[in-house]
Amino acid sequence: MTPKNADALIDDRPQDKVFGVDRSVFTDEAVFQDELRLIFEGTWVFVGLETQLPRPHSFFTTHIGRQPVLVMRDGEDKIGAFLNTCRHRGLILCPFRRGDQKFHTCRYHGWTYDSSGRNALVTDRQVGQYTPRFAQLDHDLVRVPRLAGYRGLLFASLNPDVPDLEEHLDEARTFIDLVLDQSPVGQVEFVPGDVTYTFQGNWKLQFENGLDFYHFQSTHSAYLDIVAKRFAEGTAGALSAEPEQEAPVQGSFNFRHGHAVNWSIKNTDNASGRKPLRLEVDAVRARVGATRAKWMLRQRNLTIFPNLQIIDVQSMQLRTWRPLAVGVTEITSHCLGIVGESAEARRLRIRNYEDFFNPTGLASSDDNLMFEYCQDGYAAEAGPTQGYERGLASRPDGAADYAAELGISPVESAVGELFFGGEMNFLPGYREWRRLLSRGRNR
Amino acid sequence: MTPASVDPALRALAADLLFREADALDNQDWANWLAMYREDARYWVPAWIDEHRTTADPDTELSLIYHTTRRGLEERVGRIQSRKSITATPLPRTLHLIAGLTIAEADTEAMRVRSNAAVHVYDARTAAHHVAALRYEHSFRCAPGGGWLIAAKTIVLVNDRMPSVVDFYAL
Ligand code: FES
Ligand SMILES: [Fe+2]
Repeated sequence: MTPKNADALIDDRPQDKVFGVDRSVFTDEAVFQDELRLIFEGTWVFVGLETQLPRPHSFFTTHIGRQPVLVMRDGEDKIGAFLNTCRHRGLILCPFRRGDQKFHTCRYHGWTYDSSGRNALVTDRQVGQYTPRFAQLDHDLVRVPRLAGYRGLLFASLNPDVPDLEEHLDEARTFIDLVLDQSPVGQVEFVPGDVTYTFQGNWKLQFENGLDFYHFQSTHSAYLDIVAKRFAEGTAGALSAEPEQEAPVQGSFNFRHGHAVNWSIKNTDNASGRKPLRLEVDAVRARVGATRAKWMLRQRNLTIFPNLQIIDVQSMQLRTWRPLAVGVTEITSHCLGIVGESAEARRLRIRNYEDFFNPTGLASSDDNLMFEYCQDGYAAEAGPTQGYERGLASRPDGAADYAAELGISPVESAVGELFFGGEMNFLPGYREWRRLLSRGRNR
Repeated sequence: MTPASVDPALRALAADLLFREADALDNQDWANWLAMYREDARYWVPAWIDEHRTTADPDTELSLIYHTTRRGLEERVGRIQSRKSITATPLPRTLHLIAGLTIAEADTEAMRVRSNAAVHVYDARTAAHHVAALRYEHSFRCAPGGGWLIAAKTIVLVNDRMPSVVDFYAL
């Protein structure tokens, strides 16, 4: 990597309470190429949900870093991830987003593969005058070295040298559990309907924004005005809000391997008070207990480094991304449905999602443009930004009491007043970023 | 209702309504744009479910935009006018081109009109130029005081990998 190595790009001195990120991590082409190879193609990335593969022979296609990937459920119900490229001459094997197919036939010369990735046909093999060596070659689809699920969330790694998924996810698992356990059967699904968009900015702008509580009041002030008006006029819809018994605060937990979550306790009636979970909270509480139900009702923005965010507010969003260029990112955004929720809860979830999260909605569209203005601003060689300073003076285990409620011990935690908006929860991602880039360079 | 695709007067009327709506949007004349809609108008932009089908049931599937009253459109206009949303400061320039008008159904009270639109969206700050390829279906109804109002509009966004923002003025 030129001109600076990864260590020089992240100024991390915990003992001095200093943290800084060099602007070039957002703009440098060489850094970007290293990120693709060593992060997106070098560690666990989120690829999809098991519920996207409802039956034997169901499949969907996606990308890991730059590489096209085909994920299939085979006839024995085993899920496999393969590079979506024919072994003969490289054609994209499956051109569809999703479907059900026992066999995938390459459209160029007809080689055929089954849903377990095995080659079932080399067209006209007998008359092909192949050498004996050809019979020794593996004609099956190339398997992605690591694929694992955590309670139905599928992660894959093109690099075999990664820890087990559970270890990788660390205690961020607790926050995935707080999503899944809202369902009586412990499952989530994507509400049908694809939403994909691009923004002209580096992927880390989305990574940061998902952890950025601080921006909300200013970036989304037009949205907040609309919500306030709906409440004033009584058009926000009636949902029996269950006021928090605890003092309003905003906090975050940092985990190993780059993951972090921010959360807030609010006791005012606002948009997130219209959470669909409220319609079924009694049943959920009976199942999971008062403490976890309380946490399920709270705003939680979870980031699983490097490419997954799950936002649980008045609706639930699962967002993933694919860097297309140093300054272009493709976002795929899903409305996350709780399997087993009522039709009324589902409808409310969908409406709230469209209102807030869609690029055609009233809030996320603001974020997306902020990213583009940031990217353009980063062209200025104005030195390190001051965007990682909030919360640096906080105690490293400031929110330990809150963590104890959930039985977790995050590597760092912070809490403050409702408008605290600490930036400490960006740090684990950058530390993992630096670790992965340095590790690759030193190999 | 009877198919009336060959009645030239009706075609002229429908075209006039579509061009008026496009003109209001391109001139950022929001008051007149909203005034073309009934209060109970449905405004629907479905999402795509796979390569060839759009979502069909807004209560169980996702839409890009789904409003069941004009109120949703008024909120969008209000957000733009507040100048608090970065998406509107500045607002891109737009240009709507409409073609392929077909009258699907018509009688003296109501008509359903399909058309195709290409909306050019130009960001004056970055000079980025994007074209939205759209299929429109308008349901018009006679207004009590004369004239016609939009009772429902469905917009299918053909090129659905969107740039960072898509809002009513660019549809
Ligand atoms: S490239 Fe696939 S069969 Fe030839
Ligand atoms: Fe935001």
